[in-house]
Amino acid sequence: MDTPAKRPSSELGAPPARKGWRRFSSRARSSLGLYGGTSLIVGYLSIIVLIPIAAVAAHGFSFSIHTQGWGAAFWHWHLSTGFATFWNDITQPAAISAIRLSLWLSLSVAAINAVMGVAIAWVLVRDKFPGKWFLEAFIDLPFALPTIVVGVVLLFLYGTASPLKIDLFETWMGLMLALLFVTLPFSVRAVQPVLESLDGESEAAAKSLGAGGIRTFVWVVLPSLWPAVLGGFGLAFARAIGEFGSISLIAGGLGRTTTASNYIYNLTQGFLWTNAAAVSTALLVLSLLILIATNVFARRIQRRLA
Amino acid sequence: MSISLSHLTKRYGADTVVDDVTVEIPESSLTAVLGPSGSGKSTLLKLIAGLESPDEGRVVIEGDDVTDVDPRYRDIGFCFQHYAPFRHMNVARNIGFGLRVRKQPKDVIDAKVAELIELVRLDGKAKSYPAQLSGGERQRMALARALAIEPRVLLLDEPFGALDALVRTELRQWVKELHRQIKVTTILVTHDQDEAMEVADQLLIMHEGRIEQAGEPTELYERPATDFVHGFLGPTTMFKGVSVRPHDLELVPASEGAIEGTVQSIMELGFEVQVTVALSDGTAPWVQMSRNEFRNLHVEIGSLVSIRERD
Repeated sequence: MDTPAKRPSSELGAPPARKGWRRFSSRARSSLGLYGGTSLIVGYLSIIVLIPIAAVAAHGFSFSIHTQGWGAAFWHWHLSTGFATFWNDITQPAAISAIRLSLWLSLSVAAINAVMGVAIAWVLVRDKFPGKWFLEAFIDLPFALPTIVVGVVLLFLYGTASPLKIDLFETWMGLMLALLFVTLPFSVRAVQPVLESLDGESEAAAKSLGAGGIRTFVWVVLPSLWPAVLGGFGLAFARAIGEFGSISLIAGGLGRTTTASNYIYNLTQGFLWTNAAAVSTALLVLSLLILIATNVFARRIQRRLA
Repeated sequence: MSISLSHLTKRYGADTVVDDVTVEIPESSLTAVLGPSGSGKSTLLKLIAGLESPDEGRVVIEGDDVTDVDPRYRDIGFCFQHYAPFRHMNVARNIGFGLRVRKQPKDVIDAKVAELIELVRLDGKAKSYPAQLSGGERQRMALARALAIEPRVLLLDEPFGALDALVRTELRQWVKELHRQIKVTTILVTHDQDEAMEVADQLLIMHEGRIEQAGEPTELYERPATDFVHGFLGPTTMFKGVSVRPHDLELVPASEGAIEGTVQSIMELGFEVQVTVALSDGTAPWVQMSRNEFRNLHVEIGSLVSIRERD
């Protein structure tokens, strides 16, 4: 709440001409403890995240010259016709169905793992059983495994020659299985620390007021987990929508199991760079909207709790 | 509604936290369980509430043996040390929690909540969230939440521990007054002897899991059963080889027939002054006196004085 004028640092003498810079830098100093910390971070984010994403978006809007690779197409911008081309690219029936498949698969996977993540985190935090340390380490394994390996393993287990006699080749269930596997760590790890931080007093209070186990969980524990659950949901969703390796094999070659990432890959195989960038951009925008929504929602809940 | 505990014992591994506690807590009393940290007083409270289960012994409330009864069904109001507010619920919903669990009709809940909000002086705060309340307000909300279920017994675990000195004093008086109004049998746990003496009408001194002494505050202060109780309930100093209260000693101008010594240090604490006197036998008892007494004595460091027990 304090205004810059109240801060002792602003009384000390840098030249008044640089007021704008000082206001900016004093804000940065308050969080990072060094001048220009904010600009450093913005620079880093730009190189690592913003510029590549902007390039994808820009490319998606560029006039389509399909045959000469990224470099050539990238520099041929005709923004007046850019949007029409972009719209045309993303409204192809194949593109729409791929994006639709990716969206509902990712949302359901994130939702299912949100539930399972809470359950697994609960068991890890509250229960004692032999081999717990092993399960604890095991949870993160999907992070470490190259996703193409996951794809191969799933194809072997649930492909047409399934040793388990479960054939999920070219079905949405196969895709879902792969996505559930690769996103699980996000859902568990998001909730676990929050569950660990609960001291149990609120639960004991609920109990002494007459609430049973289920009611205590739903009325008292779950509400404090919501922000973390939503955070995990967002991460799992983002991971699922961008996932390629683990689903590319089990998806096969059918249109109805072609996810957005698969579709984009197919476009790049045909050197349709601009189309690929356009669909990527659409996917990014949709993902961004969903991530912003979960974030806003989580923050709103968090503000009340803090 | 009286509570009787018999041979109550709780162990954590090799540690016996509550050790064979047998005590009767009178109906409608406000009892303070007093002891240093680690004396087992909080555990004793949790055993009564059923939040911990005893290894041995029974808990009987109003003649009902509740030892094996789930805490849900004990009808006990429990206030936690850190209040344990439901942070996602506003004050009114926090207070009404127990009533909603009991599936009371909405208008009954609303009326009861409104009444309690007034009782604990949280008017205007019904829609606030715990995060928006001060420590004292949170404490009062927790109290109202516990009272809402009309408990047979009210248990308060270090109720003023986390509050600053001013609020604490105020709230102590308020709890005492509240108890006078509603008369529910109340046990509060504290490590602060002033607090216990001020609020409670019954004291229970605990030490290393055992009850050292139980009774009325004045009785315990004047007739402590053990050295521990004596030492714990008020200041002590060694005089003639025994432990005495420093306000039971007095200084007089050096005279014959009394023990003489030199003033070693003087500590002025507002109304109270503490004077330490070095005696020839090597001991240095300190004497507690009022400011006026000190003024009339005309002593300074190095003065020769006589020390004796007050009549």
